[in-house]
Order: sequence, then C-alpha cells, then structure tokens
Amino acid sequence: MEPLAPHEKIFVDSDIVDDENHGEIACHECHGGNPDDPDWKTAHKDVVKDPTYPDATKACGDCHDEINENYPKSLHVSLRPYKIITDQRASSNAVIRNKLGCAMNAHCFQCHSSCGQCHISRPNSVEGGFLDGHLFQKTPPMQEVCTACHGSRIQKEYLGEHEGLLPSIHREKYMKCDKCHPGDEMHGDGKDYANRYEVENGPKCVKCHEEIYDRKAKNVIAHRIHKEKASCHVCHAQPYNNCSACHVGKDKQGLAFFKTKSSWVDFKIGLNPLKSEKRPEKFVTLRHVPADKRTFDFYVKDALSNFDTLPTWKLATPHNIRLKTPQNSNCNSCHGNESLFLLEKNVEDNEKGANKNVIVPVNLIPKKQKWQPK
Amino acid sequence: MKYFKVIGLAVAFCLAMILTNTLICHAYEDTQCFKCHTSAKKLIEATREIAKTRPALKSAETSGEG
Repeated sequence: MEPLAPHEKIFVDSDIVDDENHGEIACHECHGGNPDDPDWKTAHKDVVKDPTYPDATKACGDCHDEINENYPKSLHVSLRPYKIITDQRASSNAVIRNKLGCAMNAHCFQCHSSCGQCHISRPNSVEGGFLDGHLFQKTPPMQEVCTACHGSRIQKEYLGEHEGLLPSIHREKYMKCDKCHPGDEMHGDGKDYANRYEVENGPKCVKCHEEIYDRKAKNVIAHRIHKEKASCHVCHAQPYNNCSACHVGKDKQGLAFFKTKSSWVDFKIGLNPLKSEKRPEKFVTLRHVPADKRTFDFYVKDALSNFDTLPTWKLATPHNIRLKTPQNSNCNSCHGNESLFLLEKNVEDNEKGANKNVIVPVNLIPKKQKWQPK
Repeated sequence: MKYFKVIGLAVAFCLAMILTNTLICHAYEDTQCFKCHTSAKKLIEATREIAKTRPALKSAETSGEG
C-alpha cells in the first residue's frame, strides 16, 4: 500500500458536493470546529477527526439507523474477543487486572475500525488518510482498508506473497474480501459474539460450493467421508503464517510500541478447540498466535497468570485456498503423515499446558489407507 | 383559471426548491473548511507547519509483524 503525503491524507475532492446522499452535509455538522474562522489553527478547536467512533449515531445514525444500532457490537468495533481471551488468561488480582486494562487500552484496543475508517479513510492503525478525497466508498477497497490491517496473515496468504506459495484460487477469480465478508457481516447483527467463528452470517464455503455433497459431484466420496471430520481448510489450505511472542511497552517519549519475535510459514492440523454445531469438525488447521505469558510485563508482571487456560495454537481459516494441495493429492498424503499434525514435540515446553486440548495424540492420526476412492 | 393557479403554484414551488438547494450548496462551498481542504497548496503549507512542531506519533522501537 502506497503511503500518502500528509496533505493527501486530508485533501477533500470538491466532487463531494455532487454526492446526492452526503453532499449537503456541511463539514462542521459531523466534525465540529468553526467553519467561519479563516485561521486554520483556531478553526480546528474541538474538531473530531473520526465522528463515527466510538458512537456513530450523530454522524450516521439518522439515515443508517439499522446499521448504527448493530454497530457497537460489530467485532471490528467492540473487539470483544480480545477482552474475553485476555480476561480468561488474566490474574484474578484486581490491581493487576486494572493495570492490564490500561495496557490493553494503550495497545490492543487501538486497533479497531469504525464507519469512517472503512468507508472514508484508511484505518487509524495504518496512519489514516482519505481513501478518495473524502468521497464515501460503499465498498471499502480491499488493499487500503481490509488488508491494511489484516496484512501479515490474510494479505500474504490471499495474494500469494509467501515464497513458493500460490495465491488463493478465489483471488485468481478476482474475488475481493466483500464476496465472502459482505457488509451485513462486517456491520454486525446486534449479537455480542465471543469470537468471529460464532458469527451467524459469517462466511461459509458451502454457500457457494453447495453441490459438493451431491451424489454426482466430483470427489463426493471424499467430501462425504470427511464431512464433520475435517474442516475445508485441512484439505484445501496451503501453509500459512504463524506468529510468536508479542511484547508491548512504551519508549522514552511515552510512545506505545510492540515487538514480535520471528514468524514462520507452516501447516498444522490439530484438534478443534471451538467445536460447535456450526463447526463440528474434529480436525482443523491451527495457527500459532503471538500470545505470550510475558506480553504485558512492561506494565505489570504475571498479568496472564492463567495463561494455560487457552491454546496458543488457535483455530485458523487460512486465506490461501486451492483445489489441489499436497495434502489432498491422495488419501495417504494426509493419512499417516505425522508431519502435518500438531504433535506434542511441535509445541514449546512452556506452552504444552496451554495447548493440551489441541495437540493431536499420535494414536488419533488417521491411519494409512489401503483402499482409495477413484 | 384554476389550472393556471395550480401550474403557477407548482412552478413557484420548483423554483423555491432549486434556489434553496443552490443556496445550501453555496453556503457549504463557502465555508473555510471546504476552501482549505480542497486546496492542495493550502494543505501543503499547513501540514508543513504542523510537521515542524508535531512530535513523532509512532515509536521507532516497534519491530516485527503486527
């Protein structure tokens, strides 16, 4: 993504007056400030840069009332999964929890979205800047909005930026993020989900590939046999990025920073940690996330004293889907192939406790097959 | 005669709507916000001035993938 010059970030395209929906709303009605003051320094007193966060009611609510009603519970705004996960791992000590809350506010909770940070500007977490002269974008552009934040994992996978790996077949079919993640999902449906995999109108492969279980469908036997045993990604994802050990702090100037250790490309099948009616599969792809017992040590020691309550290898849906992959080329590419599975030996000693429920015991690895469907 | 009155009223209403819209647009375009933010020259001057006094926003200590 090309960086914007400082003046480009705030340059307004005068065509905005021709926008039949937003063109008659004067700047100060949403942003405040004094529109009659010729001195820009004093004119900007009390100006609100993003009038859609945290509450979009005044700026958007009058017209987009239904979206606005659900907006606070959209995971892009609420960041509820972060809170739930950190709460579960956190010490029960109230003082420690309070300090942890401050650290989360300074770091994790800065990475959110808003109406404005999808439809008008690039997100703040990537230094903002209007997408197209403050003209309203009905569908946010993929690379300036979606993958601006979801870059190190989703972008690299989807666009095939990892050396030796191909882009997602969906990318090659010219699909953008909104094909699978439409506005309805992004805007939320008013329910307070604990994680993105619970979202009712979230992406489902079978929405488009509904014929795979039909009697006459190609590979119907393989699909029927593995239904509820393995997620689509187990057979159709390529290796993907894994991250480790994020540590946060503040530098001498008081500016927040993070440091992550090495990331690596790998493919690991593990036991499904979020088994549900919607995701009943026994085997899923797992990604190592940058969670670490000492992530918040700069602010407070032993903040995550219950770290082992959740795995550091999490359910993943890699965005680099291909029809044919090395592990699905024949049954025994996967069956009996220990290297594809997350075994105890693949997990760091200090994370074995956290991952005990997702590590695949050797005796659960599907046995080699003598018979193979044609 | 009645028809003339109705047509006259309709024409007057349309004229009033057009004039109001024009006035609103003019009011909008006449604000200082609009004048400055649609002028690259003015924005370059202002952002250069801001850059001289503004402290860094991002820490140089950040490293690794986010």
